[in-house]
Amino acid sequence: MTELSSELQRGEPDSTGNPRERIGLDDPVLRRKERIYDTLMNTVTEMSDLSPTDIKPETEIIHDLGLDSLQIYELVIDLESSFDIRISDEELERVNTIQDVVDMIYELTSE
Amino acid sequence: MNSAENDFADGLLRIFDNVLLTEEKALSKGYFSNLSIAELHTLDAIGPYEARAMSETAARLGITTGTLTVAIDRLVRKGYVERYRDSKDRRVVRVCLTRQGKLAFRMHAKFHTLLVKRIMDPLDIEDRERLAALVREIDEFITEQYQKYSQEESARKGAKITEEQGNDRIIQ
Repeated sequence: MTELSSELQRGEPDSTGNPRERIGLDDPVLRRKERIYDTLMNTVTEMSDLSPTDIKPETEIIHDLGLDSLQIYELVIDLESSFDIRISDEELERVNTIQDVVDMIYELTSE
Repeated sequence: MNSAENDFADGLLRIFDNVLLTEEKALSKGYFSNLSIAELHTLDAIGPYEARAMSETAARLGITTGTLTVAIDRLVRKGYVERYRDSKDRRVVRVCLTRQGKLAFRMHAKFHTLLVKRIMDPLDIEDRERLAALVREIDEFITEQYQKYSQEESARKGAKITEEQGNDRIIQ
């Protein structure tokens, strides 16, 4: 389990899917990842019929969200524009879950 | 040419033709059916990030800026490209891809990646390296030939212009 999702799991479980309510955000790394998570949620929900409650850190992008390659690239282009980053296909190949996307954006925005 | 050389030449040309044909068929079935292969390669030359000057893009494609202007007009109309004047130097026209253009670029790049993956996956590491080295050599050789022809052509054009200027002077 990755860093943010394990942090998320540590707190009280909630039914809203909103991780802000679940974790202590004193850690600047987690705070930044939270902001990334929020932007990612907004982007995904704007470009699909999904509700924020359908999406959790461990949600798999292809398997659970059912995004096809065109939708994945739409998401990539919007995220590149929102965070002013470049996401290569090699980086995309390493991504499986929403948490992985958050971690990838965190890494890319830290460079 | 012996028969092995003939087979090699035929194979090489068939690969070239079929890659283009396959790209065209994949395009016509997909979301970007209103784009031609030439237009896609123009999007490739512009690239998905920074805006490029028209002259730079034309040089990348090996065409004149006049020819590129016609192609860009169509791509702007189709919603794949944006064109604007450089704010610092108003003489420079820059082009960049719209969201739709970026999408077409990435899908096209994925086609190339998949093509390479399908070719490379069945090979072991040694064969992959050998194939990559051979392709590099072929690429260098063809590029060299292309440059030679281009230089000869521009030298001929230069000679023609000088000759015409000379004729003008004689007439004057």
